Formats: sequence, structure tokens, C-alpha cells
Amino acid sequence: MPVGIVHRDAATAEFFDGTARGELLIRRCRACGAHSAPQARACPRCASPELSWTAAAGTGLVVSWSVVHVKGGPPFVVGIVELDEEPWVQAQIVEVAPEDVHGGMRVRVAFERPEGGEAVPVFHPAS
Amino acid sequence: MNRAPVIAGLGITEMGKVYGRTAPEFAAEAVRLAAADAGIELHEVDGLLTNTGITGDVGLGLQRDLGLRHLRLLSEVQAYGSSAGAMVQYAAMAVMSGMADIVACVFADAPLKDKSAGGGAAYAAAGRRPTGWQGLTAASGIYSANTMYALAARRHMQTYGTTSEQLGHIAVAQRAWAARNPLAQLREPITVEDHQSSRWIAEPFHLLDCCLVSNGGVAVLVTSADRAAGLAQPAVHIRGWGQAHPGYVMGRDSEFGLVSGAALSGPTALKMAGITIADIDVAELYDCYTYTALISLEDYGFCAKGEGGPFVAGGVLGPEGSLAVNTGGGQLSSYYMWGMTPLSEAVIQARGQGGERQAPRNDMVLVSGNGGLLDHHSTLILSPHAR
Ligand SMILES: [Zn+2]
Repeated sequence: MPVGIVHRDAATAEFFDGTARGELLIRRCRACGAHSAPQARACPRCASPELSWTAAAGTGLVVSWSVVHVKGGPPFVVGIVELDEEPWVQAQIVEVAPEDVHGGMRVRVAFERPEGGEAVPVFHPAS
Repeated sequence: MNRAPVIAGLGITEMGKVYGRTAPEFAAEAVRLAAADAGIELHEVDGLLTNTGITGDVGLGLQRDLGLRHLRLLSEVQAYGSSAGAMVQYAAMAVMSGMADIVACVFADAPLKDKSAGGGAAYAAAGRRPTGWQGLTAASGIYSANTMYALAARRHMQTYGTTSEQLGHIAVAQRAWAARNPLAQLREPITVEDHQSSRWIAEPFHLLDCCLVSNGGVAVLVTSADRAAGLAQPAVHIRGWGQAHPGYVMGRDSEFGLVSGAALSGPTALKMAGITIADIDVAELYDCYTYTALISLEDYGFCAKGEGGPFVAGGVLGPEGSLAVNTGGGQLSSYYMWGMTPLSEAVIQARGQGGERQAPRNDMVLVSGNGGLLDHHSTLILSPHAR
């Protein structure tokens, strides 16, 4: 299934500037250096709200996944990907048959650019 | 003066595919039914706590819908599926402190529309946001709770070896209970094979892993043991309570999918009641999905962490089993009223009014509420006996 349309708001503007450039931005704590998910508002390690943006390497492991069945279309796969920097992101997992997805699978980020919306990260097998 | 908190009234409206009525109408009727059940006049209610479902329109205006004047407590409560338990907790504390004498706690919802495309239509649409982080999640294909709970369940399977067939045993056992419950929407017995062959929703969930969607309302009245003496129904004593809000980290070491809030709210409630999990005779567990019941069984300590799958597949559940769990059929088979589903059945069981489905022992009844994406949890310990 192609990704849907999403528009930016104040909280996501920098993140979508990143996806437009082909970068997956995550948060980095100015106090302790720990990485956190893009939507984090405080550091998961030290609770500091002083977070900066940094580009993730874009590779990670599938922690969990679901094959979603919808009326009028083929099943598609969504998953939780643990980036090599430690944060989790939820995204579609593409270019792999649903039955071939497995826990611990290495994946790499790519970006889909639907007409009229922001670029959305997806993951495909890193191979 | 014994201000120990009790549940003295229970009101359950017509339930399920009941069209043409709004959630506030269901809410008002549920409170009236609860007052009638307790044998009090409606105007004796001096506290009102409301919890609104997906339609979002049950709130402070319910006071006027009920013609209640000079309330001493009025508030909306929102912790999703844990709200019913939370409302009872706040009501209990209000009664104990003398802030109010009779507090009505009510949930109502009306997401089902006649001739709608699908039962979950309102639920699916409500999750859609075209902007921001929520919009990104939806654009990525995660636009219903089904998918997030499926991700949680898959992680449990990956980590502990839990299987879909094991989850199926929960659905089968609860349907067997529902067959004995005249209030249940689905009463036809099912088998594990039926579960396995039901259509996929979001793998690893089949249709029969997922709760119903229902229109209706449920209310309970919380008052003091003294005030309840001589009322129409046997008092159900609120012996212990607890909450938990895990605040899962979205990253490595997260317990999402592996440990629920029951692990914290359970011990809090049991300690307050002065009992252990071994003392629980009946467990009414929040079961938006089969998996939610399974992880709750583990986290309360009915079995060891990770052994929920073999535990539920071993025949302990169901009317012939050794542990009375979700005796009304739960949200999977009876009706979906968020945390009011387990709470209402717990009150019925604690009163000994379960009829064909009455559990053999009911000295201690545990009620579990779960909300958000395993984000919020409440536990109540109810008993027909005063402390
Ligand atoms: Zn930090």
C-alpha cells in the first residue's frame, strides 16, 4: 500500500525538512548524548528537555511487525524498527513479502514522496 | 460511622447494535438504572464522574440531562480503558473523605451507526489525523488500535514463543462463558479452529482476537458501607485499588508488548486489600484483544511472565476451568463498554447474581482496566465482604 498523505505542523517541521532531504532525523540529548525517537520531548535516559536533531544512519532491526489486512487492497506490512542509535520508529516495511518479514531482520530507510504531502520514511531489507 | 467505600448500584442499558440514541442518552439512562437498582432517588446522587468513549460527547452536561442539582463532585475522567476503574477509585476517595455520599460513575458510547460500512468505522476514522506525528503514523499505515496491539502481541510472541492458537483458547473460553450470559452479544460457541480460520485483521490478530464494538452505557453508584445498609442490593465492598501508567520509552529496552501496567497496579491494589493474587476467586480482565487478557494474567501473577500462552491453553479458563476469568464473555463476546465491561461483570459476580455463569467462589474479585496502547492501567479488588 502506498503511504498516505501527511502535512507538517510546528512540532514536525524540522523532521519533514529532513525527510525531504532524504534524512531520517532523530533527537539527541544535549545533556547526556542519548538518542531518542523523533517525537520525543524529553530524553529517555536523563529526562532533559534539551534535545537537538541529528540524522540517523538509517539502518536498524525489525523489533515487531504486523501484516495489515484491509478491504479492497493487498495486505501490507508495518513494523517497529529499532534504529542502530537505539530509538524506535514505526513505519511501513516494503519490498519484502509479508511472510518473509522476521524479527531481527536488518532494514534500511527509504523515503516515499506522495503527491501533495510530506516525504514519509519506509524501510526495506538492508541485504 | 463506616465510610468504607462500596458499590451499591449498577445500571446497564440495552447494549450492542442499538441505533438512534446518542451517548449522552445512554449515559443518562445508565445512571437512572443504577439509582433504581440501588433503590435510591436520583436526586440523592451528589457526585457524578463521567467517561466518554470514541464519540466524545458525554461530559459535564450530563448533570443537566439528569436534572441533578447541588452536586458536590462533578468531573470528566479520561484514562481510556482504565477510566472505569479510575472513576471508582476517585469516587471511593470522595466518599471516604466525606466530600460526597453517593457518586455515580458512568461510561457511554455510540460509535455504531445504522447501515454503517463496518462496525469499527467510527473507531478507525477517529484515529486519522492528517498532520504531525499522529498523521505520520497514520500515513505509514498504522491507523487503528488493532495494528498497535498487533505489534505488541507479535513482540510477546517473538520473545516468549506465544502462539496464535494459544490466544485462540482465550477467545474460545470467553465465548463459552458468554453462552451463559443473557446480556452477551455473541453467544454461539466457537472452537480454536474457528478462531484460526477467522479472517485476518492485523496479523497476528484474527477477527476472533478482537473485541466487539457496542452502543450503550453502564453506570455504578459508589457510596459508603453505612449509606448502603438497607438499600436494595447487597453491597460490593471496594477493598483495594491501584493504577499504573508505564510511560513506555520508544527505544531499546522498552517493555512495550512484554509487560503491562498490571504489573504495578496489581500489587498496589492487592496490598491495599491485604491479600495476594492466590486469594482471587474471579478475575474480570480488560480484553480489547485476546492478547490483552493474556498479558494481564501474566502481570498479575496468575502465571509466570512469558508462560501465559501455555497457561491459557492448558484448560484453566472457561466455565469448566479452575480460574474464573471474564465470566460474562468479556469485550470479545459480551459487550464493549471500555472498563465498564469487566467492572459490571465483577459487580454481578460479587453480588452472586451471575445465574448460570456464577463463579463457584466470589470472595475476592479482581477487575482490570487497560487504556491507550497499554499506556494506562487500573485495578480494583471487590468483595461481598467488608474488611
Ligand atoms: Zn539525556
